[in-house]
Amino acid sequence: MTRDTYIFLGLVLLFAVVNGVLLANGVLAADWEGLGVIVAAGLTLALYSFLYKDNPLFKVAENIFVGVATAYIFSQNWYQTIYGEVFVRLSALGGEDSVSGDWWLLAPTVLGLLMLTRFSRRFGWLSRLSFAFFVGLGAGLTIPRTISSFILAQIEPMLQPLSWSIEGFNLLVILIGVVAVLVYFFFSVEHTGVVGKVSRIGIWFLMISFGASFGYTIMARLSLLIGRVTFLLDDWLGIM
Amino acid sequence: MIQWLMNIDRRIIFVFVFLGVALPLLANVFLPIKPTRDVIAVYDQFEKVAEDEGIVLLSFSYGASTEPEMQPMARAILRHCFSRNIKVVAVCLWPEAPGLARKVLEEIGDEFGKTYGEDYAFLGFKPGNFAVVLNMGQDFRDAFPQDNWGTPLEELALTRDVRTLRDFDFVFDLAAGDSIEFWWIPYGQEKYGFPFAGGCTAVMAPDLFPFLQSKQMVGLLGGLAGAAEYETLVGRQDKATAGMSAQSMAHLIIVAFILFGNMAFFLSRRR
Amino acid sequence: MIFLSRTLPVIVALCFGVLGIGIYYVPHAAAQNLERELALWLRVVFAFSYLLGLYSLLNLHWQRIRQRVEGWGYSAMVYVGFGLMMLFVIHNDGQGPFAPQAEGTAAENGYQWLFEYVQVACSSTMFSILAFFIASAAYRTFRARTPEAALLLVAAIVVMLGRVPIGAYISEYVPAAAEWLLNVPNLAAKRGILLGVSLGAIATSLRIIFGIERSYLGGGDE
Repeated sequence: MTRDTYIFLGLVLLFAVVNGVLLANGVLAADWEGLGVIVAAGLTLALYSFLYKDNPLFKVAENIFVGVATAYIFSQNWYQTIYGEVFVRLSALGGEDSVSGDWWLLAPTVLGLLMLTRFSRRFGWLSRLSFAFFVGLGAGLTIPRTISSFILAQIEPMLQPLSWSIEGFNLLVILIGVVAVLVYFFFSVEHTGVVGKVSRIGIWFLMISFGASFGYTIMARLSLLIGRVTFLLDDWLGIM
Repeated sequence: MIQWLMNIDRRIIFVFVFLGVALPLLANVFLPIKPTRDVIAVYDQFEKVAEDEGIVLLSFSYGASTEPEMQPMARAILRHCFSRNIKVVAVCLWPEAPGLARKVLEEIGDEFGKTYGEDYAFLGFKPGNFAVVLNMGQDFRDAFPQDNWGTPLEELALTRDVRTLRDFDFVFDLAAGDSIEFWWIPYGQEKYGFPFAGGCTAVMAPDLFPFLQSKQMVGLLGGLAGAAEYETLVGRQDKATAGMSAQSMAHLIIVAFILFGNMAFFLSRRR
Repeated sequence: MIFLSRTLPVIVALCFGVLGIGIYYVPHAAAQNLERELALWLRVVFAFSYLLGLYSLLNLHWQRIRQRVEGWGYSAMVYVGFGLMMLFVIHNDGQGPFAPQAEGTAAENGYQWLFEYVQVACSSTMFSILAFFIASAAYRTFRARTPEAALLLVAAIVVMLGRVPIGAYISEYVPAAAEWLLNVPNLAAKRGILLGVSLGAIATSLRIIFGIERSYLGGGDE
């Protein structure tokens, strides 16, 4: 056995002892909720063990999680849509409760089932009809909404009179920034001369924006860490 | 020495980050929080709905991976709604959201003695991303014929008269993905023109500022800091506010590391 | 056969694409009803697409187990987690799978228990691990080597300090600077990107509708 094996076995033993003490002291209740907190704490620590190095505890926790999450996502599709809408409404067809128009539900059901032929060598081509429907309709729905929500609605606030005020100055900076960034992304013209200078201004704006995104990303990940550490210190150990 | 510092074992940095988070949490320090303009705008919009005795649609578009960031936000928003007797209809556009949404709805609903079906309703998850928003806009009952437990919407007092997204006085999306930008704004707000705002993970927040200036969004709550600001406005310090001291300390440590790394880099280059 | 496998899908994409654009501009009730119906179709097809992902994932791990590739035991763990959760999905508090989802909290219901104490715990922990690595990466690689990199670095530090309460302790100007950075230069850059992405999305959508872009059909002659 290697040194790392002893370390991990020692940690597992320590985890068991800590939980024993927590249960004995009444910090954790000896019920499903208490067991849940112990399991969640164990999985959390197993995953954090990756920070030391990759190890079997991490991999076991990671793969169990993948299995549970997959089943959960499947179940939400099942309860609410595949059973809740498709199965219920199609099985009511022809009966007294059937609603006219429910017959239309057969079309997406068939398209959905055709999608599953993707893994068949012989019938795989049928899935292309489903993908064509999905991608084609998606593309069609996207075009007008992109024009109105992302192009017209985003240009409109920049088409305002400039004024000698802080707001006017900010508006001017935004206008310069948007134009410069667009010039930077316009690759059909060589970035030299005036175009080169404007595109360089675009880079500055992009750098500030990426910096802001980086700052916010650190903030987001730390927030998740704060949540998990709070769980360990408060819900599990009860020392907060 | 400088080279050694630049190649320091990453696990030493990990220990600093962990202590930066854990120690302020153990010390239980609450730092004063000043709400920003965009968070106040969301608060004011909910107040307006309360004055009109209106109904809001709360969309849960986040999953388990962002629970520590988003759940405190959902809790603060629901506390505000229920304390001001705002009716809440909750839907999920993310497959992992139902477990989180129902927990927070029941928890805060019980805290304020709210009745299911009259004060709030939980309609569960529908797959389809933007198609669900499109469907809700055309015919709300077509998208959600029943609640999460199979009760038809016409049997719930709260949802009996809801026909389309236009029947909501305010729509608020709690988002961890691109639901605000690519589902709700182009497929909902753009067509139906309802007041719309969102709360999102900090990663997404910088991308949404253009929609604030264009008035496509009323306001924005960005990450745990946004949730802490909302807790301050609601007047109930909870997990987000408690986390702000740890967040501040960890940010200081990372900034210090960045500055230190740069100093070492420039010193080594000069040599 | 080539017509059915390659030409027909392109025709389907063209028809539904044109329909998708057309119904947006026609306010008539019939067009709006059609939009409602098509949205429902999209939702249902979307639900089935999850089954595709489910099969793909389970099959991948099954192949690893069957071929006894290194670490196949971990793939078996995926089946352990999946099987355990599926037991509760099928049981559904005694109602069976052909019924709406059972109520019951984590203390009463194994399904909710597994979600809360396994899925939420693991998922958020996995993502929080990035906090450590991002800190380490920032220390090692975040260098002000050029003026542009310096700009990025300064913006990141201002935002990191300005969006948390400690920023106001350092100086009242720190939160104000962060606010301005986000609302003016950041906004301008994001808007520029958004406009560029939107034009790209429109072009790609048109390519799909007119059959120029066919990568979604996948490979193969048939």
